[in-house]
Amino acid sequence: MQKYVLRRVLLAIPVLALSSLIVFGLMRVMPGDALTVLMGESGNVGERELASLRADLGLDRPYHEQYARWLWQLVSLNPGHSIFTNEPIAVSLTKAIPVTAELATLALLIGLVVAVPIGVISATRQDTASDYLGRLVAVSGLSLPDFWLATLVITFAAIWFHWIPPIGYVSLWDSPWRNLQQFLLPAAVLGFRLAAATMRMTRSTVLEVLREDYVRTAWAKGLGGRIVVYKHALKNALIPVVTIIGGQLGTLLAGTVIVETIFALPGMGRLTVEAILFRDYPVVQTNVMLVAGTLVALNLVVDLTYAWLDPRIRYR
Amino acid sequence: MRTHCGRRSGADRRLTRRDFVRLTGYGAGAAAVIGGSRRRAGAAASYPDFLPASPNPSKRGGVLTRASAWDPPVIDPRLTQSVGTFQFAGLTSNRLVRYVFADEATGAADLSLKGDLAESWQSNADFRQWTFKLRQGVKWQNVPPLNGREFAAADVKYCFEQYAREGVQTFTFQEIEGIETPDHRTVRVHLKTPNVFFPQALAEPIAILFAREVLEQDGDLKKRLIGTGPFILKEHTRKVRVVLQRNPDYFDQGRPYVDEYVILSTPDAATRLAAYRTGQSDFIWVASPSEVETVRKTNPSTVVQSYHNSLAPFGLALAQDKAPFSDVRVRRAVAMAIDRQKQVDTVFEGHGILGWGVPYVYYQDKAPTAADFGPWWQYKPAEARRLLADAGHPNGFDTTLFYYEYFPQMTSQVQLVQQDLKKNLNINVRITKLDYTTYYGRYVESKWDGMSWGFQSGHAIGVDERTYQYMHSKSTKNFFRVNDAVIDELTTKLRRTPDRAEQRALTKKIVDREFDQVLRLWMPYDNGFLVFHPHMRNVAAPALRRTDGYGSPALARAWMDK
Repeated sequence: MQKYVLRRVLLAIPVLALSSLIVFGLMRVMPGDALTVLMGESGNVGERELASLRADLGLDRPYHEQYARWLWQLVSLNPGHSIFTNEPIAVSLTKAIPVTAELATLALLIGLVVAVPIGVISATRQDTASDYLGRLVAVSGLSLPDFWLATLVITFAAIWFHWIPPIGYVSLWDSPWRNLQQFLLPAAVLGFRLAAATMRMTRSTVLEVLREDYVRTAWAKGLGGRIVVYKHALKNALIPVVTIIGGQLGTLLAGTVIVETIFALPGMGRLTVEAILFRDYPVVQTNVMLVAGTLVALNLVVDLTYAWLDPRIRYR
Repeated sequence: MRTHCGRRSGADRRLTRRDFVRLTGYGAGAAAVIGGSRRRAGAAASYPDFLPASPNPSKRGGVLTRASAWDPPVIDPRLTQSVGTFQFAGLTSNRLVRYVFADEATGAADLSLKGDLAESWQSNADFRQWTFKLRQGVKWQNVPPLNGREFAAADVKYCFEQYAREGVQTFTFQEIEGIETPDHRTVRVHLKTPNVFFPQALAEPIAILFAREVLEQDGDLKKRLIGTGPFILKEHTRKVRVVLQRNPDYFDQGRPYVDEYVILSTPDAATRLAAYRTGQSDFIWVASPSEVETVRKTNPSTVVQSYHNSLAPFGLALAQDKAPFSDVRVRRAVAMAIDRQKQVDTVFEGHGILGWGVPYVYYQDKAPTAADFGPWWQYKPAEARRLLADAGHPNGFDTTLFYYEYFPQMTSQVQLVQQDLKKNLNINVRITKLDYTTYYGRYVESKWDGMSWGFQSGHAIGVDERTYQYMHSKSTKNFFRVNDAVIDELTTKLRRTPDRAEQRALTKKIVDREFDQVLRLWMPYDNGFLVFHPHMRNVAAPALRRTDGYGSPALARAWMDK
């Protein structure tokens, strides 16, 4: 097991190195830079002044030098400053990460709490009205784009209940109740999509497992329905579900971009999008690498969870 | 058949196709009822275009809140002209002079100047020397490191010199040859060239005066913005909120009226609307009549000001230094082939202006109509075709157009232009939609071919800004690439003409020349509405400024009647 973990960790290095090259390259391919936006805004700043500012920020250096410098900053855990705001990136991240982490965690919780029971009910009552309803919900979740659903939710909450989540983020520690109000709806929107995919997978794997010999044996022994389904079948059925949840985490993080914008939450999504629009290279590069690293780590966790869920799985 | 949990068989509960069709039928019917209940946007009632000041005595207190589309990129006024910053920078800080506020204005077109930190000002005979007498007893806000020290002439000199040295405001301040401070209340500015509009330039929101101590201690103004203004910047959390607290030592005693002004960063339009509906925002800006009607359904007591723009910020910029647009006949043909009224009627639901670049208030009393623009701006496809054939393009030509979608309706406008030019002149326009930075970089570089959806920024509204700065061939802001000797002469002459009537006549000549030569092809723009809760007083927008953006200093006069 330890050897497996080590091998996976070592494999992550080239993945992250390639990611760093891609994000660095893509940012340089995109036309314009932060100074064009910030200083060129008025048309008042001459080329000479812009060139001097670029030199100050090291943007005039050859690409390989800029890349090496950035990599060094990353590994020394000092990603530098935002070109646009001059704020240390570490500070921006400490503000944004808790927001996105909380949103993603809540969405994941909501998604799982909704998806697994409905998936099981759908499977155990195959081709009944509850199954159709469950599948309709699942297909809706996959079909409805986040931005549309989020807009609909906030608009109708205002019209029907004269209430929307309080705007102006407050942290969980400062005001837990206000914070929960701010996160519940966006997490539900995000969780709905996650629930949809998970629900479908739960349904099909539970259906498959319920037809296994050992389940038939359990029925033959006269065990109750709940015990058969929840104790004997579900644990095995959940292995592919865990896989799909791992895969969905990337989608979940991508979804935070839109949901954070609509619900005015200052998370990683908004930070990254703004940085991309303003060509704030250091911020974009650091954020993307952070997300890449998170996904690599999460996938590792997912793989390790297999072993816990199914003792037959052994890594050699 | 027994199911796994001992429930009824699936076959018993199976939905038939017929059931499904019936259920979806109900759904569709319900949707039709909801959709049908919406009133047509065109049925929007008409709203006043100006709201005079409240005659009632002002009340103190309350927290004014606004959901804002903008987030300040930086708070250093030297480094940005962004409305995100100037939606509050004019409330923390003052300028030497300012335009009248809504509660002082005689009407929407009143553009008189009033003293802000200056009590009076005058020029010498050739308008190269301007002397400003400062208001007595003005203090910096009582926060470290200023701690309420007295504002003095040396502060003005320092600020202007810093503005001239670096940042995006250099253009205005590099006009200054030297500054004298004969005493602590007098500032004498010497200009390199005569400019009768210099006070107007200093009345722009970007010319706010910042604290010397902060710049010297921090090296920039990115963390603290301390001024002499009605509000103290209490909190600025990027992408969350800006909180302004009443300055008890403000020189205009008794003002501001509200205790706090909170600007909530709300990038999504639907969320801003929802925030207004639920009382989380005291006022917002909406673009279309149908949006106003939507708001009034849930908030019937809403007060609405129908805004009327005095200029359009966007238009077709043609690469007029290159063929085919270097030929005035081609430019005129293009102008005549575009149906601008259709854009107003469809894209802006009838609540928009046809489009012109110089605010009409500088040369006439009433907003221009299509007839005022001259022959080349009438929608006449047949004449356009003839003109284009005369210019040697009987079969049209291929060209390009790049743009950034500043607002959703802009894409519809771009597509309508493409459609009109293809249909009427057989000009094939290849459209490229770009992200902001790419668009901006390419546009201001001014090396592009074909067409671009050009703009003029909203941070400055003076007539000099809108004529000389944007149209003179040597100006760095001449993004539309105007190169016309007559325009150069007229705009230079305008800067040296003190008489108001002569200024209006000259401005009219400039505008006529611009339209005749189709130097900038203005496109329609929405008028929009300022929507606020009935307890709000004195928040109406005057002619050239909206109180939610660059015109925010007017909020020092706003109060809440509750």
